[in-house]
Amino acid sequence: MAAGAGTGQAGMTMASDEARALAATLRDLDGIVRILTCGSVDDGKSTLIGRLLWEASDLPEDTRQGLIRQAGPDGIPDVSLLLDGLVAEREQGITIDIAWRYFDAGRRRFVVIDSPGHEQYTRNMASGASHADIAIMLVDARHGVKRQTRRHAAILDLVGVKRVVVAVNKMDLIDWSQSRFEEIAADFATITERFAFEEAVALPVSAKLGDNVAGRSAHTPWYAGETLLEIIDRAPSRIIESGSAFRFPVQTVLRGGTDFRGLAGTVASGVVRVGDPVFDGLSRRQANVRRIATMDGDLEQASAGQAVVVQLDTDLDVARGAVLSSPDAVPVVARAIEARLVWLADSPLDASHGLLLRTATDLVPLSSIAIRARLDLETLQETAVSSCSTNDIVIADLSLAQAVAVDRFADNREMGAFVLVDALTGATLAGGVIVTAAARSASEGNDAFVLTNEMLARGVCAGLASSDPEFRRRAQEVAIILRAAGVTVARDKGPGES
Amino acid sequence: MTRVFSHLDALEAESIHIFREAAAQFRKPVLLYSIGKDSTVLLHLARKAFYPQKPPFPLLHVDTTWKFRDMIAFRDKTARELGLELLIHTNTAGAEKGVDPVRFAPSLYTDVMKTQALKQALDLHGFDAAFGGARRDEEASRAKERVFSFRSPGHRWEPRKQRPEMWRLLNGRLGTGESARVFPLSNWTERDVWRYLLREKLDVVPLYFAADRPTITRGGQILVLDDDRLPLAEGETVVTRRVRFRTLGCWPLTAAIESDAADIESVVAETLSARTSERQGRLIDHDQTGAMERKKQEGYF
Ligand SMILES: Nc1nc2c(ncn2[C@@H]2O[C@H](COP(=O)(O)OP(=O)(O)O)[C@@H](O)[C@H]2O)c(=O)[nH]1
Repeated sequence: MAAGAGTGQAGMTMASDEARALAATLRDLDGIVRILTCGSVDDGKSTLIGRLLWEASDLPEDTRQGLIRQAGPDGIPDVSLLLDGLVAEREQGITIDIAWRYFDAGRRRFVVIDSPGHEQYTRNMASGASHADIAIMLVDARHGVKRQTRRHAAILDLVGVKRVVVAVNKMDLIDWSQSRFEEIAADFATITERFAFEEAVALPVSAKLGDNVAGRSAHTPWYAGETLLEIIDRAPSRIIESGSAFRFPVQTVLRGGTDFRGLAGTVASGVVRVGDPVFDGLSRRQANVRRIATMDGDLEQASAGQAVVVQLDTDLDVARGAVLSSPDAVPVVARAIEARLVWLADSPLDASHGLLLRTATDLVPLSSIAIRARLDLETLQETAVSSCSTNDIVIADLSLAQAVAVDRFADNREMGAFVLVDALTGATLAGGVIVTAAARSASEGNDAFVLTNEMLARGVCAGLASSDPEFRRRAQEVAIILRAAGVTVARDKGPGES
Repeated sequence: MTRVFSHLDALEAESIHIFREAAAQFRKPVLLYSIGKDSTVLLHLARKAFYPQKPPFPLLHVDTTWKFRDMIAFRDKTARELGLELLIHTNTAGAEKGVDPVRFAPSLYTDVMKTQALKQALDLHGFDAAFGGARRDEEASRAKERVFSFRSPGHRWEPRKQRPEMWRLLNGRLGTGESARVFPLSNWTERDVWRYLLREKLDVVPLYFAADRPTITRGGQILVLDDDRLPLAEGETVVTRRVRFRTLGCWPLTAAIESDAADIESVVAETLSARTSERQGRLIDHDQTGAMERKKQEGYF
């Protein structure tokens, strides 16, 4: 029973208009847009998401009829019931977690990432927002922009969301007042102008009645802008937006046949073509792309978002953690990083635990971390501090026991983001974005204990080649233990070692 | 010329990325192969992720001894044709005690023959990570699941202790006694699975297609008799009906639906216009409220 695509057989068991409708649903969609929604309780978030589903997605007809039947005396279906899962979630006691919902509308897939808005859930919002292409911030028209709106904008900016929409909701309750809306829009503009958003728009909506969600409202003739659906529908997917310099973080090495050694990874940004020269910053070596392989056949080129296997014409012996780039636009090979962190862990920073930095595909031990300041998200003031705890956004200086290939987050979001990992428990402690990266920090003297390959090969790594991933793993573990014992550790890599 | 990168291309690339991250970070992963359509897609993506190598992990099937014979035949054929190592584990202690879906409550049976069996198999082989085909769109309790989902010692799932996942970064470092479940299909919807099966021309178990099968009705559900182990109650008679399955599991616990859809296009048409959610064919979920949640905490996939 082989599954044949697109045969005429379907018509035999279905009416032809059904078959046409089916053909439409089976088509690949043009792309995926991830939307973060945030707001305070009762601003109307559930209603707004429900309204989007109601207006734009292909809900089953019986679900539609059911809601119409259940409508109250005003005859307006309560579209927030479409998010009935929420009830179960509330009972589970993990409401504070972000929830993912998926729907198709028109030619796109929409993913709604629903995050809690309250201050004590900053970390949840930050992790949800890190996945989003666009954010919808809800504001109740009666209350206008609140302190928390400012905080939300700061979090979105921190994690790299480029497009924000403030949906001024419940316009029906303020008589569709143009002046009130414009006041809120102006307040919002003073907040967003401080950040690097590519687009920040305000729009007047009624989630309950549907005005300006999918269709233009007759109540707001003074509003000439787009509807919410129009705005999110033209938001580019993340992939297209990522930086243009070629970056290929190597995930793993794959072999096939007698002479195939391929570097597997997802193109983080830019494009690579067969024949292109590529450079590995960690080993400072260069080669040319011989093949770009996939199970569906070789490709002439691969661009951001594609998962491929790259074979080089000379075997650079690079491994996981290496980042291929073009030779004329290379990432920073960094030992010192200035970063902004959002502290995700339940417990405050405890530097006595070994810490690891996880970049796109590399994992290296920290030799020190110094918290410099905390960012007040509502005033955007920095306060000098030396510790941090749950939900804090801090500026920190990190020294690495081993170099990593990275970019500034502002230049390349795939290459400039990282998480901090507790070496002992494995917990993800913080998410971070790189503000500046340098080969060596000014403060780091030469008094570090240098863990040489020779030293390792004599003992804990005896019998292993220094190119063996296991060699590297053990070296890291030793560095972590020494670091936890308070020793400043640097690692001396052998020539050509990646 | 720029190639069109469709939403299925994006989902496929993301899944491949997840497979590679997990294989690079975990010491000894395994792919939980449950023979259904999601497993078919999962396995196909695993092959793509490691091409030209074979996936660097075996397949594991937890065999309750009550799977449809067509499923077992499909499982063995798939492993043979792809040249993959297939591990089959049955909770023999449970089977010897006669724990079956006929005389025992579905929840108890599932706990012993699926949940416990899975834990036994993972412990027996020392797997530290297991790939599964679960999707976030399946139901509310999964909408918040992580891509790398961690299990405490004893395979317990603690929703509050899951690690935040930011950007595309996946942290697979295990604490003492921890293991992971990895869900490469997290962001796929049921539609996507069907679309992808069609696009990639993948074979699925014939039980997904309508055929004349010997059935009884019990508790308002249609059951297909796969062998003679299910004693008939008073008044139950075997009737041939044209039926198919929307979801596959242990045959006495899996309801069929009446349908004429005998090829994948027609099945997709029916599925996409269906009014009820996918898991309704699985009787076990109705056994108790919050069943899935509890099963997960106990270590069911
Ligand atoms: N009048 C009016 N009420 C609304 C509107 N949007 C939401 N509501 C009501 O506001 C209350 C909170 O909405 P809900 O969507 O549950 O808020 P959430 O807590 O942010 O998810 C409910 O009673 C909604 O019916 C709107 O546009 N106009």
